[in-house]
Amino acid sequence: MDDTTRTLAFIVNGRPVELSVDPARRLSEVLREDLGLTGTKIGCHAGDCGACTILVAGRQVCACLMAAGQAANQEVVTVEGLAEDGQLNALQRAFLRHGAAQCGICTPGMLMAATDLLRRNPSPTEAEAQAAIGGVLCRCTGYRQIVAAIRDATSAPVDQPADAQAVGSRIVRLDGPDKVAGKAKYGADLWPTDALSLRIVRSPYARARFVLGDLPAFRARYPAIVAILTAQDIPDNRFSIVPDLKDQPALAVEQVRFRGEAVLCLVGEHDALAAIPEADVPITWFPHQPLTEPEQALTATGDLIHEFAPENVLCRGRVVRGDAAAALRASAHVAQAEGRTQYIEHAYIEPEAGYAEVFSDANGERLRIFACTQTPYMDREEIARMLKLPDDRVHIVPSAMGGGFGGKLDIAIQPLIAVAAWKLKRPVRHTYSRSESMISTTKRHPARIRARIGCDAHGLLTAIDFAADFNTGAYASFGSTVANRVPVHASGPYAVPAVRALTRAVFTNNAVAGAFRGFGVPQSVVITETLIDELAEAAGIDRLEFRYRNALRAGQVTATGQRLTASAGLAECLQRLRPAWTQALADRRQFNGDPGRATSPLRRGVGIACMWYGIGVTVFANPSTMVGALRRNGRLFLYNGAQEIGQGTATIMPQIFADAVGLPLALVDQVMGDTDLTADAGKSSASRQTFISGNAAKFAGEALRRELLKLIGASQRARLALQGTVLLADEGARELRLDLAQLPADEHGDVARGEGYFNPPTVPLDANGQGVPYASYAFGAQIAELEVDRELGTVRLIRIHAAHDVGRAINPTLVEGQIYGGIAQGIGFALMEEYVSGRTDNLHDYLIPTSGDVPPISIHLIEDGDPLGPYGAKGVGEPSLIPTAPAILNAIYDAVGIRLTSIPATPARIRAALARSPV
Amino acid sequence: MKPAPFEYSRPESLNEALSLLAGDEVRPIAGGQSLVPLLALRLVTPKRLVDLSRLIELRGIKVESDGIRIGALTRWCEILSDARLGEHHPLLREAVRHTAHYQIRNRGTVGGSCCHADPAAEMPAIAVTCAAEFEVMSLRGRRIIAAREFFRSVFTTALEPDELLISIRLPTWRPERRYGFQELARRQGDFALAGCALYWDEAGGCCRDPHVGVFGVAETAIRVPQIEAALEDRKITDEIIRSVARTIRDVTAPPTDLHATSAYRSAVLAVLLERALRASLHDPSHHD
Repeated sequence: MDDTTRTLAFIVNGRPVELSVDPARRLSEVLREDLGLTGTKIGCHAGDCGACTILVAGRQVCACLMAAGQAANQEVVTVEGLAEDGQLNALQRAFLRHGAAQCGICTPGMLMAATDLLRRNPSPTEAEAQAAIGGVLCRCTGYRQIVAAIRDATSAPVDQPADAQAVGSRIVRLDGPDKVAGKAKYGADLWPTDALSLRIVRSPYARARFVLGDLPAFRARYPAIVAILTAQDIPDNRFSIVPDLKDQPALAVEQVRFRGEAVLCLVGEHDALAAIPEADVPITWFPHQPLTEPEQALTATGDLIHEFAPENVLCRGRVVRGDAAAALRASAHVAQAEGRTQYIEHAYIEPEAGYAEVFSDANGERLRIFACTQTPYMDREEIARMLKLPDDRVHIVPSAMGGGFGGKLDIAIQPLIAVAAWKLKRPVRHTYSRSESMISTTKRHPARIRARIGCDAHGLLTAIDFAADFNTGAYASFGSTVANRVPVHASGPYAVPAVRALTRAVFTNNAVAGAFRGFGVPQSVVITETLIDELAEAAGIDRLEFRYRNALRAGQVTATGQRLTASAGLAECLQRLRPAWTQALADRRQFNGDPGRATSPLRRGVGIACMWYGIGVTVFANPSTMVGALRRNGRLFLYNGAQEIGQGTATIMPQIFADAVGLPLALVDQVMGDTDLTADAGKSSASRQTFISGNAAKFAGEALRRELLKLIGASQRARLALQGTVLLADEGARELRLDLAQLPADEHGDVARGEGYFNPPTVPLDANGQGVPYASYAFGAQIAELEVDRELGTVRLIRIHAAHDVGRAINPTLVEGQIYGGIAQGIGFALMEEYVSGRTDNLHDYLIPTSGDVPPISIHLIEDGDPLGPYGAKGVGEPSLIPTAPAILNAIYDAVGIRLTSIPATPARIRAALARSPV
Repeated sequence: MKPAPFEYSRPESLNEALSLLAGDEVRPIAGGQSLVPLLALRLVTPKRLVDLSRLIELRGIKVESDGIRIGALTRWCEILSDARLGEHHPLLREAVRHTAHYQIRNRGTVGGSCCHADPAAEMPAIAVTCAAEFEVMSLRGRRIIAAREFFRSVFTTALEPDELLISIRLPTWRPERRYGFQELARRQGDFALAGCALYWDEAGGCCRDPHVGVFGVAETAIRVPQIEAALEDRKITDEIIRSVARTIRDVTAPPTDLHATSAYRSAVLAVLLERALRASLHDPSHHD
């Protein structure tokens, strides 16, 4: 009768399996840890994210919500069981064709949920497909391409376009097949069998001093503890993404500055550590009144969170051009507002995970870290410094990345697994729980923004006076980046003669605010783009037309005094949106004017908003180096340091490289991110990879081409081809041949190499923020159509139209994927997301959009090529998110006449505003 | 985190299950959709877990002379795919459509949800609204608990530790019955911020025997006798709908939590009641 630790017999992917397990363990863990089926992902362990969705008895269930014992005698199918005769099945192929996998961490869950649907209903409607995946969260795609794929799971094969030219083609992402097959290895998917685990003890207080008690006695009491790490075990216990201010300890020293800060780290076997009661950990706490709001921190005289930051200000940003105050006084119309935005959690579905191990090679004893990251080279620098090792003693091997969005730029698990492994000379793995990930890692900065904008009687903008305080939380992270980027962008993508934009990043005892898709710009447009609407209304000009007249165009000067010479495509974006705008306004007028709806609570509205965004890091050098080679085996090889985080660098870089060499993409193999093999291509951040690393890949390809032409003795105009190991150069009149197999090669098999380097040209900003902060800018505009229920305060999105000037779409499918996904995050930012430490540290209280929350999206790609970009390309990752929230807020105003200046625009806030409004 | 270690049993018979439940610190597990996360977070630390999955007698829906009897292990997906309910309990089916997502509906059980007793869940609301009877058993015997007695408070029921929920009987659905179900959740599949389930029997254009239940607005789902009295034997007009929508705000005091304030819940509840009543006026044949 008792089944404890008894044989569990069930069928997995058609194969009978018998194993001895504790029947109370979660099925997800048994599949992953005991059967090695790591295609089933774990995102929350609470049934909120659906990443672990599998089929049991033919129906989709969350493997994390099922006790293994309950699977007895059942038929279980995981993503590894989808392939048919070793080939991807129709649904997997459809996911590839439609670009339905980006980071890929939700892909197995999506595939299993869809498989369940398609078995019952082979031709589902859009609503049925959306409902079927309603329990699986995706943070990258906005679900649109997934729904399209589910509805197109036909026998069609996956054909890469046969075009000679890869750039501009809808190339199926090169990392896609592994992701849809469940083979891609994310941070939690690989570990040395003898790896120890961590249990990190975190502060329950936002601000406190603490004293560690008798640790040896504690250790003696619990033999499961192999080691206890404290701050003293970390040779240089400070880190930060910015080089000049390493202010954050990996383990707190004497005091904690935010709830969830790590203070102690136990090393041992996972389950045994978990069994130790928290109350037995010998720490005495002396809580202190936290400074929770920037207003409080700014005025708390002498009460400093960090001694180096007087008034608790980390950094001030400033852009001043002309006399904004005077220009506002002389303006025909002035609109002003003050508003607030909230803490936003990245909510990537993959919690931070990885392992560290010590190994030896010709360079002696070294440390290897396999983990998810957006920035392998900076991880190497940071970890080497913290362990006081030379950089080359640390080897970073990035795992597949289950979403980052800025949140995996700062190191997280890395220093603790590194210190533990180095100290114990044993491999150590760790995976953050969902709540550990949420309480301890960075967030989007909450902002308080005040702005006044003026225009003349013709509706031409005259001036903006803008001030914003960003709550940067307990440590610096990217606070200075936000404070410096926002003033540059404050005037929006418009020609504004007089600008004063001041920002502060303020320390508080909250979660660390860091990088998140847009670095403060999405927050500032929540206010400025609604003011643009108010000015249009005051001037009696259509809102799109008002923006069109003011759009920055090539030849005009920005707020930093930079003359844009090319690729300023906002006007074209707006022109492209005009028909949709006109139609949407007419539809809305008809709906709201219908006499049959006089008493209906539903009102429709249409809103528009624009954006611009500087590509790459503000002013500072952010170069990329790429190396490409031709190998003796007749294959091209790209040493690709531009970390793939779901955005597509594993595909874009080879596309650019192949075209630059002049050989087919199908010949390219690559390695991604590995710091022993690739060159430094910087962070996957600031929408910089396509523009900067793309250029480096192009230059690497061109350098390799020159090298090959030299080797074969052909001229520049020769067309290259490969037949097996034979390189051919066709010059029309003659064809040259070179057998690579006969050539000397290096240890990798490379017979020729080309290196490319690009650093975008910038000019430092002076005291008034005048200079050239970025070499290139992306532009875009979005329209939101929606319906407000005046009685409930709810918003139903009907459609979003997006036009983005991307310079050149290297891969339109991937560009569209970025736009869909950015819009989905913009929807969450506008309507539902709000991180509150201690209250929304999970994915059922922290609400991100589900498949049902993202409406149809029409995308228009504007390709106003940037002469500086590779084949004209700029960036799109962050730009796509920026206009969504203000477009939605403007549409809410259009529908029901209320201006919300605090977001998220929850039903309760909308209803309260309606109750206050005179209508 | 993993659950604390405990004994795990999978009895073959109801009697065996009841014997196990008579032990100390024992928890039954049905679909596990609420319990497994609680175990993993060690919010619940039983010494023994009794897996009910082999008790097939606790599964399925029976249409009987005194109503429908839903076995405690019946899953949401079984309710949604049971065509008989279109006639025998359309309100139940309508409510379950709002319950969670497919993964949860494929594992989660009616009994598990009721014993978890989340005040915002749909099934307890239907049970309370319809004056369901809960059949429970232990080695000490069998007893019937009325729905209004069964749900005591947030996550608290009248079940004794050794008792097992066997089935829930919803009284016979009458052909002339009209119903409405409305809830507001932040996202599809989330727990409701507030909701309303109601039905009444049409007699000569008037409302007979109205049952009005609300959920997400108190410690358990509750019926609202003041509203039922106001509707009894009345023709449901715009005026009366507006009137009871005002009343509901006076007779309920919803809680404030992370997702909504008391004031917002209260306002929304009035709207949902109004909409549920309006929906109930439509011909039931157009409902489903």
